[in-house]
Amino acid sequence: MVQERRILYEHLDVPDINTFEVFKQHDGYARFEKAIAEYQPEEIADMVKEAGLKGRGGAGFSTGEKWSFVPRDIEPRYLCCNADESEPGTFSNRYVLEKNPHLLIEGILICCYAMGIETTYVYIRGEFTLGKKMLDAAIKEAYEQGYLGENVRDTGLNINIYTHPGAGAYICGEETGLIESLEGKRGQPRNKPPFPAVQGVFMKPTVVQNVETLCNLPFIVGNGVEWYTQMGPTYGDARFDPPKPDPNTGTKLYCISGDVNEPGVYELDLGLTCTELIEVAGGLRGEEVKAVIPGGSSAPILTHYELDTRLDFTSLTLAKSMLGSGGIIVMNETRNIVDCLLNIMKFYAHESCGQCTPCRWGTPWVRDIVQRIADGEGRQATITRPKFGVTESGRWGDTGETEEIYEDLDLLESVANNIANVDTMTWNTICVFGIAVSWPAVSYMRKFRPEFEATIREGELITLPVAEATVPPEENYAYQQRIIPKEMADLE
Amino acid sequence: MSDEIIQIETPFQFNEENKREFDELIGRYPVKEAAMLPTLHLAQRQAGFISPAVMKYVAELLELSVMKVKDVVTFYPMFFEEPVGKYVIRICHTLPCALRDCKVVLEHLKEKLGTDVASETNLAKGTTDDGKFTLMKVECLASCDVAPVIMVNDDLYKNLTPEKVDELLENL
Repeated sequence: MVQERRILYEHLDVPDINTFEVFKQHDGYARFEKAIAEYQPEEIADMVKEAGLKGRGGAGFSTGEKWSFVPRDIEPRYLCCNADESEPGTFSNRYVLEKNPHLLIEGILICCYAMGIETTYVYIRGEFTLGKKMLDAAIKEAYEQGYLGENVRDTGLNINIYTHPGAGAYICGEETGLIESLEGKRGQPRNKPPFPAVQGVFMKPTVVQNVETLCNLPFIVGNGVEWYTQMGPTYGDARFDPPKPDPNTGTKLYCISGDVNEPGVYELDLGLTCTELIEVAGGLRGEEVKAVIPGGSSAPILTHYELDTRLDFTSLTLAKSMLGSGGIIVMNETRNIVDCLLNIMKFYAHESCGQCTPCRWGTPWVRDIVQRIADGEGRQATITRPKFGVTESGRWGDTGETEEIYEDLDLLESVANNIANVDTMTWNTICVFGIAVSWPAVSYMRKFRPEFEATIREGELITLPVAEATVPPEENYAYQQRIIPKEMADLE
Repeated sequence: MSDEIIQIETPFQFNEENKREFDELIGRYPVKEAAMLPTLHLAQRQAGFISPAVMKYVAELLELSVMKVKDVVTFYPMFFEEPVGKYVIRICHTLPCALRDCKVVLEHLKEKLGTDVASETNLAKGTTDDGKFTLMKVECLASCDVAPVIMVNDDLYKNLTPEKVDELLENL
């Protein structure tokens, strides 16, 4: 049985940990004191890079590398903390904000010290009223105790933290959307480049980090890089020759919801498998796992064949999915995948910001197609055409067989792929919202095609048994393409 | 000018407490426009919804055109352009809540309140006749572990069942 390793969440349940005094008794702010006493700012940035910390917000980009893009000669620089947690299935930041806000403040202080930043905006989602209240109170205490404001702890540093409420738009979780929203505009993402690290909020260099990423900083500084890198696997990234080390170090706050007995946030080392995770969360509620969404609703779905996939950044990318924000949604055998996709597509159709035409029109179109299928009015053409699949030579191509066309499924794939193409990973939109739409749309449809076909054929929602609903692995393109990092050449 | 075509009946103004809070807010940002969202939140808390008069007032405060403020108000689902009930009930209906039967809770709420679900362009549809409640569906409230959830104004209610909803409505 896998044990939880609580680091970020260690003191979460200590009574009154949200107050300065109790937080201080539990090593609070000691790590920041250590940072300013023992290290130069550049050394902290190097430590974060060496520790291999990856952004926990969704993209999984190396934090140290992101910091290295920030020009240190342009003043002022800003830090935006992304607390706009809106990805369906993700709820770990809420607990940090509500129960242990001082940990976030300490993380922000360390980041500000390392990057020479004086102003931080915490963009908190509008619905987190309690979280904002707790953080505001904690910030007030930190000002009173001299950890914020002018001349912090007699070091000559000036650090200010301000909370900024959002107003219910999912797209403001995208870093440039967040910046636009912070500037008081519609939260419509910007074209990149220039990246926020160079021109971000108020057109100044800006570091945008998730709450969880910032909360990792005190522990990296406090316990050292070596301690941190012991947790989680480091793979060799086979796309480079020789393989470049690709660290998945540290713990992750996995948010498990859906059909498990004990949904919640579990802090575990990166690199556990889906099966292990479901076990940690009290086991499955139901008979059999039908599907698992590994990283918030944007992530491509995993079938019951893929439950041995390790839940870390590298493994999931190689399995043609993503860890994203770590929001894991488990579905049991009673769930209908068409219905689930409809729910998700309604979400995206509602949340498209309307800036780029493919997304503004395509997303409601995809939703309408899935709605039509779920209503039992999916279109089925009667002509046949060559069937594509894995041929005898083991390659993808014309198998020589014929298949019936399900017009709406082809249309669904075509529309989704024209918002963002999941095979080439190119998107026709400014931000990655496009790929967040077409990834679930195409992956659900490809991996659970029998269920979609049956629903169209029968004219009503048909829930097939797990084994029949899933495309067998040999016909699952993503499954065929996946690489299991365990088998990849060792680094040394 | 876009400002002139908007008919203003009763002008809006911050009360003293909100004015103080606004003055504190505005100092946080290098440009005034950035205070838009917190200012609109303040205004909505005082006025109940963002009427044209509120937009005009906020535009004056932030030295922007009224259209720019309206532009923002229409983008964000949390800002209301019409009057809403005293209690705004937001029910999450995204996947994790749907897997935990939020539909049952929603149907129960609809039946109990005797109202439909509000849409963003028609809030009156989801508001009860006595103006006490507005029922609206929202996307993920980031509490999937305690699904299904609803938010009544600023408070979150977890692990809901029809019985718990009854109890909750009685106490309001």
